[in-house]
Amino acid sequence: MFFERKTKSQSILKSIWFPILSVGIFISAFGLFGPGPAFYTLGGIYFLASVFPIVTFLKTRNNGYLAVALFQIFAGLVCISAPPAIEDKNNVGLVPIFIVIMYALMMVVAYQVFNRRLRWRGEEIFELAALPVEDIGNNFTARPRPAGQIPVSKTEMIRFVDFVTQNLIAFAFREENRVVFVLTLPRNDLPYLFGIKKDYSEDTWVAVDYDGNVTVNITEEDYLLFKMDLDFDQICQSLGNVFSEFLELSKTGQESQIIDRMNALRLNPFT
Amino acid sequence: MNFETAARLGAILSKDYAEDFFKLLVNYQDISASEAASRLSLHIRTAQDFLENLTDLDIVKKTEVFEKKRPYFRYTLIQTKLKLDLDLTIFEKENSDEGLSRLLREKKENGANFAIARSGDCFSTVTVWEGDGRERQEHKISLTSPQGQFLFHLPFPKARPLSVADIIDKAGVESEYSAEIQDIVDELIRLDVIEVL
Repeated sequence: MFFERKTKSQSILKSIWFPILSVGIFISAFGLFGPGPAFYTLGGIYFLASVFPIVTFLKTRNNGYLAVALFQIFAGLVCISAPPAIEDKNNVGLVPIFIVIMYALMMVVAYQVFNRRLRWRGEEIFELAALPVEDIGNNFTARPRPAGQIPVSKTEMIRFVDFVTQNLIAFAFREENRVVFVLTLPRNDLPYLFGIKKDYSEDTWVAVDYDGNVTVNITEEDYLLFKMDLDFDQICQSLGNVFSEFLELSKTGQESQIIDRMNALRLNPFT
Repeated sequence: MNFETAARLGAILSKDYAEDFFKLLVNYQDISASEAASRLSLHIRTAQDFLENLTDLDIVKKTEVFEKKRPYFRYTLIQTKLKLDLDLTIFEKENSDEGLSRLLREKKENGANFAIARSGDCFSTVTVWEGDGRERQEHKISLTSPQGQFLFHLPFPKARPLSVADIIDKAGVESEYSAEIQDIVDELIRLDVIEVL
């Protein structure tokens, strides 16, 4: 699919700063204190870093993040077990097993990354919403907008909520009469993942109530993610339409088509 | 009776000393302000104002008399039955149908803040800031449920405007609420939150 991107590209630095920093710390520790402390430090960093994918897996049930967490844990185990093996080549212990598991998990993670299964999809949702909008006009207003209706039963909604959460499209908040989907746009994920933030009113969301009414709210900060001042009324309506279409596909069990539509945008899997 | 007259009569009747004052007026053929003030232990100015207000409302009549060439007024009760009759239907919105055909949308950069209600399908309040600098004040308007639903469906700035009737229809609000909806529309037009095209 060829199209002109309407959202700003995210810097790849946001994704690679952590590995670069880890390597930097490892090299510095290696130079200053030798291989033993350097490996222990790197192992500690891996264990610490595994908290994020563990929390993500627990919150979203996205299996890709379970693989990432396991990879980091085994990478940490390799680092922790490496120093004794370096000192005494006859005392390798479980290091070879850890290394094999680590590489196997690395392959799984790489597969997940290239298939965009670890990607937070909010940016792709925005891009899909922007596709049909051609009119320009800075007419932003900080209030939600009704964006049509889609009949939905509670069972269908539960299925859709699970799908949306598992595929990192949005964080779902179940309320008495509706479900609010907060888009996983850049900067949005961490506070919701760690439960620091529960008030979504200052974020971009799409709500679907049990009568089928769809409501859209886009914040000014997120509106600026678009390269141009797309007609705000149209972009809100279009975002509502995207969710309605997704919900319709989910109702008929065609969730794979939703993923295909997002993958067809071919946004950078690393950002 | 118009609202202003009714309000004045209401204010007169609400005074602490009104009942005692009327007891005097009913029983005296005529009375001066100083006589009434001394009898009711009031300041003479208070008694005078009370009697002047009653004169303006044609409840008492005042007559100028002279005491050794010094003129003063004596007051006589001329209405022994007071009737507060106020027709509130005069406040009903005029040209209701004409008002419903107005094309509306939200005004761009109006600075208003719409707070969403708990139910999520309407607004509960609109907050507008009036004035500049230190004089700037928050004006928070609590909305009735039909008003909140109506504003929830108000077209965005620069979007295709809709008539009041169409928005009412879109919001699923009963037509009997059109008067209170027009009231909030008029107020938000005055506050530059809504524009009429």
